[in-house]
Amino acid sequence: MADSIAKLSITGSQSSLSAEDARLLRGLRAGIESAYEELLARYQQPVYSMVYRLLGDQNDACDVVQEVFLKVFRSVGSFQERSSLRTWIYRIAVNEAHNHRRWFSRHRKNEVAIEPENEEQRSYGVTPDPGPSPFDWTRNRETRALIEQALDEVSPVFRTAVVLRDIEDLSYEEIADILQVSLGTVKSRILRGREALRRALTQRLDPGLSEAFV
Amino acid sequence: MSISCHTAKRHSADYVDGRLRADRRFNVVAHLHDCEECATYFEQISQLRAALKAVPEKPIPQRLETSLQIIASRQRAEVLATRGSHWKATWDKWKFRVNELMKPLAIPATGGLLSSLLLFGTFVFTISTTTRLVGYEVPVAYSSRSEATLIPLELGSHAVFLNMSIDSNGRIGDYAVSDPDCKYSADLEAQRTNISMPSIPTVFAVAQPISGDIEIRFLPLAFRP
Repeated sequence: MADSIAKLSITGSQSSLSAEDARLLRGLRAGIESAYEELLARYQQPVYSMVYRLLGDQNDACDVVQEVFLKVFRSVGSFQERSSLRTWIYRIAVNEAHNHRRWFSRHRKNEVAIEPENEEQRSYGVTPDPGPSPFDWTRNRETRALIEQALDEVSPVFRTAVVLRDIEDLSYEEIADILQVSLGTVKSRILRGREALRRALTQRLDPGLSEAFV
Repeated sequence: MSISCHTAKRHSADYVDGRLRADRRFNVVAHLHDCEECATYFEQISQLRAALKAVPEKPIPQRLETSLQIIASRQRAEVLATRGSHWKATWDKWKFRVNELMKPLAIPATGGLLSSLLLFGTFVFTISTTTRLVGYEVPVAYSSRSEATLIPLELGSHAVFLNMSIDSNGRIGDYAVSDPDCKYSADLEAQRTNISMPSIPTVFAVAQPISGDIEIRFLPLAFRP
């Protein structure tokens, strides 16, 4: 009963929001501090992680994530609740990342950083794999590094689909909603993204790391 | 029904994600059983997916967390200030933008407006839609006969016409006096050399000086019987 009530928006039309999202949305529109904190706690990490993988640069990802949440907070009043809160936020994030990448390719591709790139900023993992030996841990870390590098080589359109599906674990329907494309297109992009990733990894892997997928 | 390698690979995404229909799944499994290359391919895709799922999230930098807290705080303050009203928020936003736009133009715009008002106020009284001669010594009927019942004088009914040519500088080029009713001819003949022409200031009609041929009609004063 509560779920069905929560699904009805102010206009009376059918909403795609869960009860929890509806409660959060009401809190945001009313200016309740805990609602803002909850939104950030729930989405800032996954959004940043996804944007980072789409752009491949920490500074760019930070800029884009700020823009994303600025838009989210400003548009929360006009959000029409036709999709879930999660897909709505992810849609904004994907669009902002694409816009940033287009702007970058137009204006900044000839720039060279003054400061040397800090390798620490491009760390690929923070949680050491609790493998039986340091050697295994190193090999897994290298595997992840290879996957990250290979992912950077995949075309942005296919990379987005693979990141949303295989890393963010979104459903095909949610991805279609985020990217505003058909299910068939989502399927095609995931298929081609995985194929491109597989090819890139196959070229990188030497026989010693051939079992790196495991 | 056996399928080709191309068809099998086309179904790999749905197969790995568990979305394949039962009949198609059966066909794919059957094909994988017979085709080692496709079986290896499917195995690699599955392992790739598992490896991607195991990749940890990128940790969010502390400075970004702080920035997001500040953004959230500001937006919340804006929502509270506008009481969540979309129209008030939109109005405030556009009012702010217009104010910011007008700030550098405020002083010159105010100065221009005041100057315009001052100039307009100075010259507006010179605009007249009618021709009016004020303060001339020559009595000229303006629009109609005026009758002063208290004074035993009245304007005569027989007019004398003064025709003049005036150039653009207000100088009289030529003049002629005519008495169509021959009422005053004798007097005019005697007075012809004694007609003194007062200076006629530049006549304005709708703020423009008049020049060219002008006819002035005189109605002499007569004692009322």
